[in-house]
Amino acid sequence: MSDRQFVIPIGPQHPALKEPTSFYFTVDGETVVDVEPRIGYNHRGIEKAMESRNYIQNLYITERVCGICSNAHQTAYTGAVEEAGGIQIPERAKYIRVFFHELERIHSHLLWLGVAAHEIGFDTMFYYVWRDRELVMDLLEEISGNRVNYAIPTVGGVRRDLQKDKFPKWHKILDALAERTNYYIKVASTEQTILDRAIGVGYLSKEDMIRLSGVGPNARSSGVPCDTRKTAPYLLYDEIPFEHIHVDNGDVLGQVLVRVLETLESVKICKWVLDHIPDGEITTKFNPLSKIQEGEAAYIVEAQRGELIHYTISDGRNMPYRHKIRAPTLANIPSVVERLKGGYIADIPIVLAGIDPCFSCTDRMAFYDEGKDKSWAWDGEQLRRHGLEWYKK
Amino acid sequence: MAMERELLKNAFRKPATLIYPFEKVEPPEGLRGKHDYDGDKCIGCGLCARVCPSFAITLKGGPGPKCTGLLVDLGKCLFCQQCEEVCPKEALWLTTAYELAVLNKKDCILDFNRTPPPQPQAPPKKA
Amino acid sequence: MSGLITTLIAVLVFPGLFFILTYGLFAQWVSRKAAARLQNRQGPLHTGWQGILQPLADFIKLVAKEDITPAAANKTVFNFTPLFIFALPLAATFLIPIQSITNLWSWTPVASFEGDLIMVLFLMSIVVLAIFLAGWSSGNLFGAVGATRVAFMMLAYEIPLSLVAIGPAILARSLSINSIVNWQAESVAAFLAAPNLWGLVTGMVLFIGFAIYVICLLAELEMRPFDMSEAETEIVHGWQVEYSGKKLALLNAGHDVKMVLAAALLTSLFLGGPAGPVLPPFIWFILKTTFCVLILSNLSVLFARFRIDQLVSGAWRYLVPLAVLQVMAVVALSGVI
Repeated sequence: MSDRQFVIPIGPQHPALKEPTSFYFTVDGETVVDVEPRIGYNHRGIEKAMESRNYIQNLYITERVCGICSNAHQTAYTGAVEEAGGIQIPERAKYIRVFFHELERIHSHLLWLGVAAHEIGFDTMFYYVWRDRELVMDLLEEISGNRVNYAIPTVGGVRRDLQKDKFPKWHKILDALAERTNYYIKVASTEQTILDRAIGVGYLSKEDMIRLSGVGPNARSSGVPCDTRKTAPYLLYDEIPFEHIHVDNGDVLGQVLVRVLETLESVKICKWVLDHIPDGEITTKFNPLSKIQEGEAAYIVEAQRGELIHYTISDGRNMPYRHKIRAPTLANIPSVVERLKGGYIADIPIVLAGIDPCFSCTDRMAFYDEGKDKSWAWDGEQLRRHGLEWYKK
Repeated sequence: MAMERELLKNAFRKPATLIYPFEKVEPPEGLRGKHDYDGDKCIGCGLCARVCPSFAITLKGGPGPKCTGLLVDLGKCLFCQQCEEVCPKEALWLTTAYELAVLNKKDCILDFNRTPPPQPQAPPKKA
Repeated sequence: MSGLITTLIAVLVFPGLFFILTYGLFAQWVSRKAAARLQNRQGPLHTGWQGILQPLADFIKLVAKEDITPAAANKTVFNFTPLFIFALPLAATFLIPIQSITNLWSWTPVASFEGDLIMVLFLMSIVVLAIFLAGWSSGNLFGAVGATRVAFMMLAYEIPLSLVAIGPAILARSLSINSIVNWQAESVAAFLAAPNLWGLVTGMVLFIGFAIYVICLLAELEMRPFDMSEAETEIVHGWQVEYSGKKLALLNAGHDVKMVLAAALLTSLFLGGPAGPVLPPFIWFILKTTFCVLILSNLSVLFARFRIDQLVSGAWRYLVPLAVLQVMAVVALSGVI
């Protein structure tokens, strides 16, 4: 590091970050030369907690892995448990799960659009987008009883039903959401200040993205077609007609385009579900204390930020033996480090926000030694000893 | 300049902010709020306590017919509604009361009472 | 003796110190309320009628808070620069004509001399130097980055600002703000009496100067889209990051006074100052400066934030040539060549 370079720490507390994480930027004047990410500030011991609670209690723990993708985590968890236990869910339950999955995608992408506008200093658009996001929040509250953490999927089906007499009102709300999203697409593509901050910023080519294993809208903005709903369909996604959105821009403008176009697709899917939902049961009764047969299963869903994997091992009791969650932001960190290099300090917030980071989902505890190709995990006693020694230094 | 028309239009409309607590939103009927309890329907099975993810419900007086009520700790409660779903007699349910802030943590604990049914008298011993 | 008393009242009460400070708080309220209503929200509401006492409440709250000087800071510079940032714009407002104490229907500035326009521009540049020292001496990395950005911004907007401000001075044949206002009052009266083409062309050229001046003022006041020295999401509050308590209260008051100075300069140079029919001059002054504050506030909520390199390259590529052309047009119109 030459004399002119110095290190700026962004995080763990910083207005640009919505969740605690730490990046050490080596800068030369106003240009970023090197980035060192440090994650793990949000580790809460979720996977360990899940090993001592039964499957119904774990439903609510997975929901709280992340506030914005809570329904995606629950969909993946119930999918994994049902696959391990050989439980079939009724058709109507699948439709309701898809409905909530897509509604949460709308809510999350609108949230992201507001936060991205805030990161480039455009607070007015931030306020307006979040005001219009209230439409989908009120809709979710009306159906599920809560604005976040809807707790709709359960092992065996869903917990609440959709009332048919409210469908016309919900269609109107979805149409209003589509109209407002179209307005924001127009603003984002004609407002010169946004284009100045977004075009060419944080560029990553398609080859680099594949090499650095990006997922989700982050990868789709560089042209990698990797939507799990199309490449490995789950629930009903092989029957629903919708577009596979990916663009070739590779910069922050690509991220914006992918997410707003996906919001429009989600509105279309929701309307399709409301038109085609069959009658029937919404759940096969699952006793909270009943046991799941021995086995293991992995279930992949397309969460708002990318590919989310839940892997569960059951040993025949009513509590899981092991449950592992791989969140999409963990896979996106190498690509965001590459995007940040060579840019300006002023571009750091928008590029970081561009991958839609959700560090609450990300933090798990595992060690991987590249040289010896060994991986292991520490138990509580080793962790405590390591912590005490580190502070003594 | 793209948002100028929208800005000027909204400058003369009523703001989107509600002046809480003078103006309130009407909560929808499915809202998961504070608990309510009917002691006559409860049988003291304890399923609600066993299924609660955050162990917020405790049975007073022990499980079974001699149960004298429930203690629900709203400080631990997730408002997940699993207790309402699992109750076989529909004795515990969630209302739409959402203004639950208290100044003292002890006021978080809801105390519900139940009069246990009178124990059947043992038949008089035959001589 | 009565001359001394009127001077003291003019300097300390009206239209001097007390009036400028109160008007600064009022201007901050106008700016916040207008920005809020444009963004479809309420703005300050509960302190006083529609929140008009909110800036005063914020000032009192800051004065009451603990004032921390970081251990790594250069204490003398850190403690003294807020005084400069507050006092220099205040001194500059004494040169702007608002209202005369003795005569209700005329205006005299508290102090006036030939060349006071240059003095005002010079004082505004010294304020930027003080801001740079404030950020640099705070011992914080983010403060240093903010301070360097402020210095870069001055490179960008200072030239067009000065060029465009000279335009009305050339037309009025004087560098005194009072004379410029008097010339504007006379020429508008003459134009309304006998409209002619040259007057119209002069008005259009001056309108272009007004637009350029507004853009440069947005950069000077560090308002969006040019608030990169205070960018909250990037460098946490820029050069003000280590200031708290009384010093921060002084900095905020200084920002309000700068806003009043900017609006007052805009009205005096381009909008005719306190001149106007029927009403006393200070009413016209308040109306015109409130209009300028509304324009600045509207532009501030309309855009995202630029990067520092975009501001510098944009200013030198677009603003400076436009300002030079505008000055050449003014010179041609005034027949000086």
